[in-house]
Amino acid sequence: MAARNSAGGAARPGGPNRTCQFKLVLLGESAVGKSSLVLRFVKGQFHEYQESTIGAAFLTQTVCLDDATIKFEIWDTAGQERYHSLAPMYYRGAQAAIVVYDITNTESFIKAKNWVKELQRQASPNIVMALAGNKADVAQKRTVEYEEANAYAEDNALLFMETSAKTSMNVNDIFMAIAKKLPIGPAQGEPTGTVDMNQPQQQQKGSCCK
Amino acid sequence: MSDKHGEEDESKKAKMHLKANDLLCVNGCGFYGTPQWENRCSKCWRAHQNELKKSQDFAKNKSLLSFDQFQERRKSTTESKSRGIKNLFKTSPIPESGTSSPTSTSPSSTPTRRRDLSPDSLEARKQFSDFLVANLSTAMAQEIARSVKNAVNKISEMRLNSEDMSDLVISYYQYLGDRIGVHSYFNSPDCKVKVEDVMDQVEKYISTCCYAMFFCASHDEEVADMSLQDRIRSLHWVTAGFLETKLVFKKQNVRDKVDEAITELIEINAKKSAFEKLDCLTRSCKAIFEALKESESSTSADEFLPTLIYILFRGNPPLIQSNVKFISRFAVPARLMSGEAAYFFTNLSCALEFARNMNHESLQMEKTEFEAYTSGHMAPPLSVLNTACNQAMYVLEGTIETIVTVAKKAEDLLKNLTGVDKKSDDDLEKMLILIKETVDIFPTDEYIQMKESIFAEEQETADLLVSLSRQSSESGRGTLSTSADNTQPSTPQPQLDPSFESPLAAAIVQKEATDSN
Repeated sequence: MAARNSAGGAARPGGPNRTCQFKLVLLGESAVGKSSLVLRFVKGQFHEYQESTIGAAFLTQTVCLDDATIKFEIWDTAGQERYHSLAPMYYRGAQAAIVVYDITNTESFIKAKNWVKELQRQASPNIVMALAGNKADVAQKRTVEYEEANAYAEDNALLFMETSAKTSMNVNDIFMAIAKKLPIGPAQGEPTGTVDMNQPQQQQKGSCCK
Repeated sequence: MSDKHGEEDESKKAKMHLKANDLLCVNGCGFYGTPQWENRCSKCWRAHQNELKKSQDFAKNKSLLSFDQFQERRKSTTESKSRGIKNLFKTSPIPESGTSSPTSTSPSSTPTRRRDLSPDSLEARKQFSDFLVANLSTAMAQEIARSVKNAVNKISEMRLNSEDMSDLVISYYQYLGDRIGVHSYFNSPDCKVKVEDVMDQVEKYISTCCYAMFFCASHDEEVADMSLQDRIRSLHWVTAGFLETKLVFKKQNVRDKVDEAITELIEINAKKSAFEKLDCLTRSCKAIFEALKESESSTSADEFLPTLIYILFRGNPPLIQSNVKFISRFAVPARLMSGEAAYFFTNLSCALEFARNMNHESLQMEKTEFEAYTSGHMAPPLSVLNTACNQAMYVLEGTIETIVTVAKKAEDLLKNLTGVDKKSDDDLEKMLILIKETVDIFPTDEYIQMKESIFAEEQETADLLVSLSRQSSESGRGTLSTSADNTQPSTPQPQLDPSFESPLAAAIVQKEATDSN
C-alpha cells in the first residue's frame, strides 16, 4: 500500500497528482472492530496500546491512485444503541461510509443492514458505501454466511468484503476499493480564473455603498 | 417533555374518580395530601410546581437549543444570499486606502457612525496586522488588511441579528478565501504561509470583533443556556458508571487528565474568537484521549463519546450552547466540515444533543426511577455504578493506602532495629570467645606471667591451708573430727603437697625476683 503524507493544498489542477480529501464515516455496532479496522489501515497495527498517536476516533490516511492522491479523513462513531440517534450529525457531509459487522454475531449484521437503510434514506445520495464483515480470522465461529452478506450487498449496490483487522486481510483492499469509486473531481480550491489581487478594481467600484 | 404534560392530564382525569380512601400525600412524606394539589401535601406540591415549571421552560427553549435547525438554515441561506452579499464586502469605500499601511489603521480614521472596537478586538487587530506584516508581501498584506478592515467596519455598522450576520461573515470568508486563493503569490517559494493560515488569522480577528456584539446577544439565547445548564445540573447523578465509561479513577493520572479536560471545556467560554474556542475544545478532547489511554482503554468513538458526555456533565460549562452556536456561526465553514477540530466539535454537539434528549431509555432504567433521580427526590443507590467516580473516596482510599504502607515500614524498621541490637550482642559474645581462644592459643608473655603468678598465689594459699589443717589436726583431733571426716575425700590434696613443694617455692622466688625488679 502506497501511503504518503498529503501535499496539502499545493495540488495543481488537472495535474497527475491532485489531492482530494474525503470524509469517511465508520458505522456499526460497538465491539465489531470498527476502530481496529482503521488502526490496521492507518497504523498497520492491531493492538491499540502499541500505538503512539493520541486517539483512534479520528484518523487520517492518504492513499495514492494512478491519477490522484486521496486523503481519507476517518470519523469513528459510537456504536452503542443509545447514541444511534446522533449518527446523522456524523455522516452529514460524508462522501464515504463503511458499515462494519462481526461475522460471528448475527445481531451485528442486522444492525448493519439498518445502518445501510438509514444511510440510503438520509445520507448524501452519492455517498460511497461499503459493507465489511470483520473478524474473518475466526471463520470457524461464523454465524453470518458469506453468500448471504454478499447477496445483500449486491442487492443494495454496496462494496463488500470480509475483513480481518487481526490478520489485516482485505483491510487495505476495502479502502482502496472505496478510493477508486470516489468521484475525483477538480481539486478543492481550484482556480476558476486569474484575478490579480494588485489590480485596483476594488477601489474603483464602490464609492456609493458607504 | 410532552410525556410530562400527558402525565399531568392523566392525573387530572384520575382525580375525578378518586375516592377519599387515600388521604396521604402521594410522595409518601407522611403529611396529608389535597386533591387540588394532585394529592400532594403543600410542600411537595410547591416542589412539584417548581419542577414542572423548569421542565416546561426547558421544553419551550428546546427549539432554541436545537443544533440541526440553524445548521440547516444556514446552509440554505448562505447559498442563496452569497451573491448579493459579496458586493457589500467587495465595495471598498475607504478614501485613504491608497496610502494606509496595514499597521496604520488607527481608530481616528474611522467614520463617526461606527461603534468603537472593544479592547479585545483592538488586541486582535494588532495581532492580525502583525501576522500580515511578518508573513506576507507588503502589497498582499495591504490588500488583505484593507478588505478585512472594510468588512469589520461593515459588521459594526450594520444592525443585523446574529443569524444574518453569520450568513454575511461566512460568505465573506468564502469570498476572501477564493480571492486570495487564486493568487499566485501563495504558490511562490518565498511565501511562508498557506491560504488556510491567512484565513485562520482573518477568522480570529473577525470572530473576535463579532464576539462583543453577537455572542449570546439575545435574551432568548441566554435563557436557553440557563435552562440547559439547569438540565445538566439535574443530571448530576449520571456518573461515569451510568454512562459506562472505561475510566479508571483509581489512577491519579486519570483523575488529573479528567480535571484537565473539564478545565479546558470550561475555558471555551473565556476565549473570544472561534479559533481559540475550538483550540480549547481540541485540548479538552486530547486530554480525554489521554485519560482513556491511562485507563488502558481503547480510544475509539465507542469510548470517547460517553467520556465526553461525562466530562460535559461534570464540568457543566457556562454558556456552552451559546459557545457552540457562536463557533458554528463565525468560524470558517471548512474548519467545521473537516479536520480534527470538526470531529471534536461534532462530538460536542452530539454530547449536548444527548444531554437535551436523555431519558430513562438512554440509561436503560425505569421512567419513574429516572425522574426521581433527576428531580432529586431520590438518590441513586450507592453502587459500583456511581461510586466508581467518587474522586474524594479515591483520594481517601489512596491516603489510607499510603498510611498503611508507612505503618508497615515503621514496623519493619523497628524489627530491623531489634535485629541489629540482638546481632551486636551476639557478635560481642562471639568476639569475646574468639579473643579468649586466640589468647589461649597464642598467649603473650604478660599473660603467661599473670597466669603463673595467679597459679603461684593459689598454690601458696593451698599450702597455707594444708599447714593450717595439719596444725589444727595435731592440736585437737577430737574437736575437728568432723572436719577431718570432711577432708577425708579430698585426700589427693595432701598427697600432692610434697610434689608441689618445689614449683611453689620456685614461683615464690620468681615472684619475689620480679617484684624486686
